[in-house]
Amino acid sequence: MNTTAERRGPDRRLGRFLVVPGILATIGLLVIYPVFFLVTESLNVGDAGTFPPDELGFGNYQDMVSDTQVLWNTAFVAGLATVMAVGFGLLLAWILTRTAIPGRARLERLMELPYYMTPLVGALAWGVIAAPKTGLANQLGRLLGTNGDVLNIYSAWGIAWVMALFEGTVAFVMISAAMKSMDPSMEESARVLGAGKFRVALTVTLPMILPGIVSATIFVFAEMLSAFAAAFVLGIPSRFIVITTVIWQSTSAYPPEYGRAAAMGLCLFVVLAVAIGLARLVLRKGSYATITGKAFRPRPLRLGARAWPLVTVCWAYLTFAVFLPMAALLMTSFQKFATVIVGDMHFTLDNYASVFRQGAVASALTNSIVLGLGVATVGSLLVGVLTWVIFRARVPGRFLVEYVVMFPQAVPRLVFGLGLLWAWLWIGQALPFTLYGTLWILGLAYLTVLLPLGVRTLAGVVLQIDKSLEECARVCGASWVHQMRTVTLPLLRPGIVAAWLLIFISSVRELGASLFLMGPHSKVIGPAIVDAWLTASSELSAAMALVQTGVVFIAVIFLLRVTRRYSGDPA
Amino acid sequence: MRQSFRAAVSMLAIGFATVLGITAAEAASCPNPRQMDGFKTCADVAKAEQEGEVVFYTTDPPQATTEVMNDFMKAFPKIKATFLRLQAGNLFQRLMSERQAKTNVADVMSISEMTFATDLQKRGGYMPYESPEYAAYRKEYKSQPEGYFGWGTLIVAGLAYNPKLVPANEAPKNWPDALNATFKDAVNTKLSTSGLQDAVWYKLRQLYGEDYWTKFATLQPHGFDSYVQQFDRMVNGQDKLVHTAQYSAYLQLKAKGAELEFVFPTDGVVVGQSLYGAVEGAPHPEAAKLMLDWFLGKPGQASLQNHHYLSSPRTDMAPPPGGIPTGQMKVLLIDDWDAYLKSRPQFVREWDKITGMR
Repeated sequence: MNTTAERRGPDRRLGRFLVVPGILATIGLLVIYPVFFLVTESLNVGDAGTFPPDELGFGNYQDMVSDTQVLWNTAFVAGLATVMAVGFGLLLAWILTRTAIPGRARLERLMELPYYMTPLVGALAWGVIAAPKTGLANQLGRLLGTNGDVLNIYSAWGIAWVMALFEGTVAFVMISAAMKSMDPSMEESARVLGAGKFRVALTVTLPMILPGIVSATIFVFAEMLSAFAAAFVLGIPSRFIVITTVIWQSTSAYPPEYGRAAAMGLCLFVVLAVAIGLARLVLRKGSYATITGKAFRPRPLRLGARAWPLVTVCWAYLTFAVFLPMAALLMTSFQKFATVIVGDMHFTLDNYASVFRQGAVASALTNSIVLGLGVATVGSLLVGVLTWVIFRARVPGRFLVEYVVMFPQAVPRLVFGLGLLWAWLWIGQALPFTLYGTLWILGLAYLTVLLPLGVRTLAGVVLQIDKSLEECARVCGASWVHQMRTVTLPLLRPGIVAAWLLIFISSVRELGASLFLMGPHSKVIGPAIVDAWLTASSELSAAMALVQTGVVFIAVIFLLRVTRRYSGDPA
Repeated sequence: MRQSFRAAVSMLAIGFATVLGITAAEAASCPNPRQMDGFKTCADVAKAEQEGEVVFYTTDPPQATTEVMNDFMKAFPKIKATFLRLQAGNLFQRLMSERQAKTNVADVMSISEMTFATDLQKRGGYMPYESPEYAAYRKEYKSQPEGYFGWGTLIVAGLAYNPKLVPANEAPKNWPDALNATFKDAVNTKLSTSGLQDAVWYKLRQLYGEDYWTKFATLQPHGFDSYVQQFDRMVNGQDKLVHTAQYSAYLQLKAKGAELEFVFPTDGVVVGQSLYGAVEGAPHPEAAKLMLDWFLGKPGQASLQNHHYLSSPRTDMAPPPGGIPTGQMKVLLIDDWDAYLKSRPQFVREWDKITGMR
């Protein structure tokens, strides 16, 4: 017995020291290798069409000094939108996981809807609703006798509002996963000691789910920094330019300025690295284990008549984030030509006929769904391991893994996609099979760029699980595999389901990496919708976006039902 | 003495290069092209059908391109035609990256940027091939030397306005009329990413001097990536006027019943182009030649006109649906391509300032 233990000791230590290098090697191939190409390109001050660059220098970084207004615009909108989105997410998560309001289950499912829509679509829809001069809300305002515009979505606040509406749902999913995993006995103890319901929420619930909130804040902030669609659609008309708008222009014009774009993208990572560092400092100060050996059954607060204002809050959010934009899109999708002037509207089914007639759209949508299923399944397994290593394994260098994993989130995909293109093109030369131009390369790219989403979703849940539970299992003689299967994974289940769902939806609507890696035989739906908006017509892109949203919604409902049936537990 | 010797050597080198270029192109042409249904080709059609596939890289709208590809496949059912549509900068980067990694995918390419096409020609990116259909094209609609790329379509740019907001008597008649202060904050244009905008900037600067654009900047124009957003805003009443308005976009919207008017400025419409060529190292070389000949021939031209509403550079073609022939327009063409290409960085700098992008 002793002999075995002695033999296991050094092996385990050796294994522990091999874990981080092994993980780093895997994600290094996925993340660091493309980054190498990006860093090199950011130093390219010569011919844009030559790689490796023939002239190196820091000119692209120096040029950023002249873009201070752009940098300030980006920081302002990202900060404002993050505060709003996390606020929405937190409030909605608390209402839907900690209170017993009427129609809670249905509302919870509906809250995911905004995330099904391509961000571009939300921006387009809000343009129809609240554009100055002719937006529907402003037309209505004028009918009611107001002078000037009631709303102006073409502004920094308008951009932040749209971004927050559509990212609020991500914050909601992340924070509610943490809330679902929380033992309510702590709240009950506070109540027994005389604290009111809202005081309990503020002084007990909120601090206990801090990891989930911090994770959501970091993720959403990174997403806002590198967000493209809302700022592109709503910012350009008012000349409000952010980094991603400049990057889009730098990469789509000829000659492309990829050096400038890469330098700007890499600088965003520095901002995110500071944010991650701060988050680690905050989380290091306390213990957030709320899932302990004591069994618990979540008991939501019964608020009686006071539940109705909370129900109104949920439906108001859904109205702004889903129903109004969907109605605007639906109206546009049936128009012969897109207009908000009621008297000029002519309706037709032609746009839907075009979507279904052109096999290319159906094939792009099928490719996206297939990729979504594959990437979400492989990705949730991979992020499970990564999250465990980052937040649980007692191995040196694990914090490095977190920084590396988060990299693709901070760098706009319009730039990171270029690094992926070069990386996989060069690797492709050494491979005995064709990778470039196939769905496989898109799958690898999606896996890379969606790692941060999965890790941040699971991080909040992992930090809540008391280590003593696993230690108990080990003391009782369970092997590591048995412990993971019977203790850890069941506890992680809400987080894993949330991660799977988010990765699936993000894959289906992915745009940035797809632009660089899709080939003539591997088209996907995200770029197809953007292309339709840029080059065909708003009404056709609206029809395509609605079809995409509908298909994703049906797929998610179907998959959740299947999961529920086979696990015998509500997902 | 030393300088004149250098100059003589340079002239000789340029002469050799030109002769070699022409020779390369001529070597690729054939004395007896095969007559197909509506066009001639030097491609080996049987081999092209054996290749079974052709890949088209383009900056053109994907929906219309799908229809054009379908037309090609109707003519050649044994050849599967697929395409990839990207913005000019992304397409350039994709092509360059593929070439450097020796992973060729594209067979035929169309691009609306002359700067891109000439750059690609210099880098040896086009397959030298003298299409027999070039005979129907004016000299200035072909690459120099011939046999690398040709103008597949003409993109006509003028002015367009919303008649509900601009009465006919106040509508602009020529380019300087578009500088009227009534269009302040109510005019839109394209961004510096557009090759057509570059052409308009160059020609109007040539006609009216730099002052034209200085005055235009005071109108605080809204810049957009595509004609779709330009025309959407005008039809919606957010803008009164579209500067650098694509005639093809006007025709498409008019066909759908939108209320808008197009102005052929009395001082001339500016004409841009989509440049078509076969790609060097094409994985399906015979199919590439066949597709290029089809594009430049009458069937391909008709398909491009019907689906993209663009004008044909050929004089023996009817105008696009609902449009008038370019022969009836006063056309402003770029006359000095070298000067135009050199002015590109200045255009980008100035235009980004005018549209508020920098």
